[in-house]
Amino acid sequence: MIKKLSLLVTTLVFSIAVLAADSRYILGVDGLACPFCAYGIEKRLNRIDGVTDVQVNVGESVVHVTMQEGKTLSEDRVNQAVDEAGFTLRAFSEAEDETGGNGEQ
Amino acid sequence: MVNSNRPSVGVSVLIGTLLLAGVSAVQAAPNTFNTALSVAKGQYLWREQLVLRERSGNGPMERDVSVQALGSVLGYGVTSRLAVFGMVPYFFNKELDVTTPMGRIERDTSGFGDVSLFGRYTLYKKDETGSTFRVAPVFGLTAPTGDDNDSDRFGELPRPLQPGDGAWDGFAGVVTTYQTLQYQVDGQLLYRENGRHDALARGDETRFDASLQYRIWPRSLKGVAGTPSFVYALLESNVIHREHNETGNGTDADSGGIQWLLAPGLQYVSRSWIVEGTVQLPVVEDPNGDAIEDDYVVRIGFRRNF
Repeated sequence: MIKKLSLLVTTLVFSIAVLAADSRYILGVDGLACPFCAYGIEKRLNRIDGVTDVQVNVGESVVHVTMQEGKTLSEDRVNQAVDEAGFTLRAFSEAEDETGGNGEQ
Repeated sequence: MVNSNRPSVGVSVLIGTLLLAGVSAVQAAPNTFNTALSVAKGQYLWREQLVLRERSGNGPMERDVSVQALGSVLGYGVTSRLAVFGMVPYFFNKELDVTTPMGRIERDTSGFGDVSLFGRYTLYKKDETGSTFRVAPVFGLTAPTGDDNDSDRFGELPRPLQPGDGAWDGFAGVVTTYQTLQYQVDGQLLYRENGRHDALARGDETRFDASLQYRIWPRSLKGVAGTPSFVYALLESNVIHREHNETGNGTDADSGGIQWLLAPGLQYVSRSWIVEGTVQLPVVEDPNGDAIEDDYVVRIGFRRNF
């Protein structure tokens, strides 16, 4: 009984942690080829409501976006921001794990 | 007398291209001319470029011209395709040393020059992963905002030595850029039509500029995450044709010509700063008559995104 209860509590805690975690997105951006250009895309993405962090990986033409808890990012809004920065959105996906490490290799 | 008709015209002729090529090219990406790369919507670009220019003439007047100026540029992305820029030069010193019947004399001035306003529109872009190709027309004008009636103990300074030109000028051209993570190539064709003021119109100018920037640091981007700073080696080329100046009664034979300048340099590029420097050196000088020639032009500056 105690074993079952502790398993239930552990599962519940883990589920809450997952639900409470910030959502992360991975964008593939074409046309991005220098550090100075990266600033514009950071600025446009940071204007989106709920965005808490933007990390540009220039060498891989990938941008990681972290959203505030409970907020989501739509592909249309991202497409608009990337276009306003002067670039082209190639790919859009939500990261499957907390490190946001999928889909970029 | 340096203010007599002949020396005055001669001086005008010899200094005639100062305003055009000295700081007017202080624009956006290569050091000596423009780029087709976009400015993001709502983004500002601030640029300062210190220009040190030495010129000399071979005629009997042994003219030497020295210019120290700071070109200040503010750009703004109206949309991702349209960026507008304002540029104003400040001349710390514009100095002419010339031999006259009175002996060797020096004339100089300082102050703000003429303001240029221009726009750049990205007409075509092709983005790929890690590279982009863009074509952007450029169009603008230079307003006669600088002082154009400075004088010294010899009288009113010759027009080209004034901080301002006194005339409205217009310019238009097209710039293309191909940028990859390893290198960037820019090319620009620009025509500038110079207005007339007080019976002098500087010769119109056509220029073809090209630039190669090659990343020398980091040597490889493998395993480099985030947005590392780059260091580029750069080589720029400027071929400039200037027509004769038009004076009250015709054209000035000792003005205009063709020159080809090469400019090696270095550029440090981070996420929000660029620090850069080049030295423009004449490879070919083919002036009309006794028109003055460039010895060298040093350009040092920075750009800031915000």
